[in-house]
Amino acid sequence: MIALGKPDRQTDVLVVGGGISGLQTALDLADQGYQVTVVERQPSIGGRMIALSKVFPTLDCASCITTPRMSAAAHHSGIDLLTYTEVDSILPEGAGHRVLVTHKPTYVDRDKCIGCRLCEYACDAEYPDPFEQGIAPIRAIAVPFTTAIPQKAILNAEYCMTCGSCARVCPTDAIDYDQQPVRESIQAGAVVIASGYALNALTAKPQYNAQRSGNIISPLTMERLLAPHAPHGRVLRPSDGKIPGSIAFVQCAGSRDETVGVAYCSRVCCMYAIKQAMLLSGALPIADITIYYMDIRAFGKGYEQFYQNAKAMGINFVRGKVARIEPVDSDDLLVHVEVTEEAAGAMQKRRHDLVVLAQGMIPQWNPSVASPVRLGGDGFVATPDATSPASTHVPGIFVAGTAAGPKDIVDSIAEAGAAAMEVSRYLYQHAAKAGGPGTAPAPRRVALKLAATGS
Amino acid sequence: MNDKTASGSGPANPSAEALRIGVYICRCGGNISDVVDVERVAEVCRHLPGVVTANVHTFMCSDPGQKNISEDIRNEKLNRVVVASCSPFLHELTFRGAVQRGGLNPYLYEHANIREQCSWSHKHDPQGATAKAIRLIAAAVGKLRYAEPLDQIRLPNQRQALVVGGGVAGMKAAADLAGRGIPVLLVEQSERLGGQVNRWNRVFPTEQPAAELLGALRKQVEGHPRIEILLRSRVTKISGFIGNFQVTVEGQIGPAGRRTEVAVTVGALVMATGFLPYAPRDGEYAYHRHPAVLTTPEFLELLRHAPDAATLQFQGRPVRSIAFIHCVGSRQVDGVQEPQADGKINNYCSRVCCTTVLQQALAVRQRFPETEVFDLHQDIRTYGRGHEDYYIQASQAGVIFFRYHGDEIPTVAPRTDAPAGAPPLRLTFKDYLTWGEELTLDVDMLVLAVGMTAGTCQSLVEQLKLPCGEDRFLQEIHPKLRPVEISVNGVLLAGAVQGPMNIRETLAAAGAAAVKAAAILAKEQVELNPYVAQVDADLCEGTGQCVEQCEYDGALRLVQVTNGDGKARQRAEVNPGLCVGCGACVAVCPARAINLNGWRLDQYEAMVDGLVAEAPALAAATA
Repeated sequence: MIALGKPDRQTDVLVVGGGISGLQTALDLADQGYQVTVVERQPSIGGRMIALSKVFPTLDCASCITTPRMSAAAHHSGIDLLTYTEVDSILPEGAGHRVLVTHKPTYVDRDKCIGCRLCEYACDAEYPDPFEQGIAPIRAIAVPFTTAIPQKAILNAEYCMTCGSCARVCPTDAIDYDQQPVRESIQAGAVVIASGYALNALTAKPQYNAQRSGNIISPLTMERLLAPHAPHGRVLRPSDGKIPGSIAFVQCAGSRDETVGVAYCSRVCCMYAIKQAMLLSGALPIADITIYYMDIRAFGKGYEQFYQNAKAMGINFVRGKVARIEPVDSDDLLVHVEVTEEAAGAMQKRRHDLVVLAQGMIPQWNPSVASPVRLGGDGFVATPDATSPASTHVPGIFVAGTAAGPKDIVDSIAEAGAAAMEVSRYLYQHAAKAGGPGTAPAPRRVALKLAATGS
Repeated sequence: MNDKTASGSGPANPSAEALRIGVYICRCGGNISDVVDVERVAEVCRHLPGVVTANVHTFMCSDPGQKNISEDIRNEKLNRVVVASCSPFLHELTFRGAVQRGGLNPYLYEHANIREQCSWSHKHDPQGATAKAIRLIAAAVGKLRYAEPLDQIRLPNQRQALVVGGGVAGMKAAADLAGRGIPVLLVEQSERLGGQVNRWNRVFPTEQPAAELLGALRKQVEGHPRIEILLRSRVTKISGFIGNFQVTVEGQIGPAGRRTEVAVTVGALVMATGFLPYAPRDGEYAYHRHPAVLTTPEFLELLRHAPDAATLQFQGRPVRSIAFIHCVGSRQVDGVQEPQADGKINNYCSRVCCTTVLQQALAVRQRFPETEVFDLHQDIRTYGRGHEDYYIQASQAGVIFFRYHGDEIPTVAPRTDAPAGAPPLRLTFKDYLTWGEELTLDVDMLVLAVGMTAGTCQSLVEQLKLPCGEDRFLQEIHPKLRPVEISVNGVLLAGAVQGPMNIRETLAAAGAAAVKAAAILAKEQVELNPYVAQVDADLCEGTGQCVEQCEYDGALRLVQVTNGDGKARQRAEVNPGLCVGCGACVAVCPARAINLNGWRLDQYEAMVDGLVAEAPALAAATA
């Protein structure tokens, strides 16, 4: 066994991932008085949710309901946020786990940066903004997005021309072109993996030809096109900036499909497609919107009613697995589909301006390479305890949200709470065993204060 | 909220001249500013009396937006803050925190809703919306003029919990809380723990025997030193508030099994009363019209006792074919299905039935290879982890699928003319996997995949005034971000009491509910909203009209006080723990002696003045 030495930092709980699941877990633990450290690989917390337009079925704007959680975590005395930090390994050590992390260089001294954005305004280099899914540019040095936490500039060395403009305008002398990665060793009583999901490639199904057309887009791009503070302020298709008159959603374009290696259902695509279709029919009232699907899986609370509303709004639901998407003239797309519900059924070709492919959800991170955690056959973290959906094979390591399989926000929130509960139980039992301070000895029968009222 | 800045009372009410109000207007990323001219609103607001600064931000709720407020409080010496943004439902607490971090009493802040009540509702009238936004802010500014610093009410916390319902959700919540060191009273109305899952065979997707899963949960609660389990018992009376619920439980308690009552005071309460399977009406899909029409729980019971064979047997006859119909009692359509007893239809999806059907269909194909299985569905919703495998395997095992539309549901008729030995049930439906072809299918047995309906917790719902949704399940605070909390503080929702869910989801919800209860019970005291009634003893005439009007037991009462002159008088007295701040007492007081903290009558008057100020007066303010 490698000697890990003295840790640089101690924490009750380390949460891997600062998306909505990780933040909820952190808040539910910190509200009980535990000290929590959240490690996020991106420059800001907020995860996938902060980049969404609105959420189903309430149609709340995602920013409006995510920012309070982000802000609550940032201001909580029991929560430390380590952003732009990678987890290298999670190893059992003492009564808990030792987590080795690397703080990636942002080339900005985060203690000095005041988020004034003068560097951003002075910078002449641009690259496709990852937060905007590449549909808008961002400067090589910039605060990642309006609602980012922390509000600190970050420099992308790949696009920086080292012209020195940012360093010249920075009022606090925070720019540091020579910044190096910094490793840190953290001793945690327990660990929660909330590393979230990624999407499989837009080109996963070659017959959909996403590699040949810019007008076949990811649902996350559609989220940005529909966001209240969207880069273009309206929905334009990528190839020529035309306002699309006919938009198609092709469901199960990377799930329920063994040919792409994802046989399972990604669980959220039906609902976000319906939501996006509704938002589109608001933004483009005369547009024709079609959802090609196999089954509409509107299973959550209020979801079926949401689906029925979308049907009543005139969104076309066409049952059929799309066989092929063919780029044609004027950058339009021909969708080949077998329509099973109409008497005149059989194969049809339908023309659309813009196609959204429902990509499949896959794990964002493989924790089994960095920790003793085991995965299920689907690649997500396995949860072997039938009575505890948040427990992994390793005592002291728990899982929350989409790291344990596709799920929507509300189910992620519930599992995040459950993970926080399992952690609290685990830490309490350990402290009790160790006779640590603050733990009462196990009471004898009936600690409950009951009073008989007579009969 | 446990904040990094310590709380503390801010400065006392300053005189009008000393008012230094900051107004913060949110664009909400376009949600507001696409309609309301926020720059113009800010310009006008800068000239309202007492306002020293008015700022606009893209997302006021974001960290930089909040920082803007906290820093202005310090730098501009603000003593009042108005935020004009979305509904206070979303962000009142957020901004209260920002105000507090600036060093100001958090109740010297007022929220103007210019999104839901302005930009969203007047999308097509930007000018009108802009004028309305100004008025809404003017009202908030007016109200603040009379605002006083308030402190949260702190009361002792009874650091133990009540869990109502001993099914999977209740056992999990109890085990979680006790495992965290919190004493729990677990009340179950039936004679055993386990709830509906006692009727299950194997649970999906693990195929673990349900009894084994329940056994594992029971082991965590039975004999636990911090859990007291009361079987054959129910909560008969409950009152109080977060940190202090007084509960009476009646049941066969104690070794003699005599009917008796116990009382307990708890700080938090977990509702885990579960669901009831939908009970089809007589005649619905020929239910109760033919013995071979069963519900999924009834079919499960049959499967449990049937010996493996080539063909399933039922009432001494071979069952050569079974049809399952999905969505019975779920996804109902107005005008197609008859309404339920309360006049409503069940238009929701019950979430678990699809996987349940496929699990049973697959079991039939595996155990009785010569029994054919037909599946009539609208959509196959095998969404969960490992659920899609049932669909794949059922297809491979030869289950034949048909698809019907919710507004053209299958009809079922017992075949009176069927020759002996022929299938006794005839299904007629349109199949949309084959272009809407009309099909008839004769089967030996029909299984109705019944959905979930809201369970029975009427007495608690009424006593605690818990809100229920259109679907009759208990209504969470926010269906996205706060699924296990309800508008009554200190009450948490675990499992199917909130809506249909499977066992894994129920366990997660129970854990989430337990962790919220644990956070409440981790503290020595509970903090309550200060918006409660307050009596001005000098003005109170002791008429008692307020007490008569009050709907909350114990919140208001008349007490005898002795004044300096030695005479005893009656005066009204408020119990701030029980007062909900409804204001019913304020409306009836003839002497205007009772007021709501934070919502006093002079504040209402100032708000009205702000709202109705002549347009020229507001315009003049810009001059």
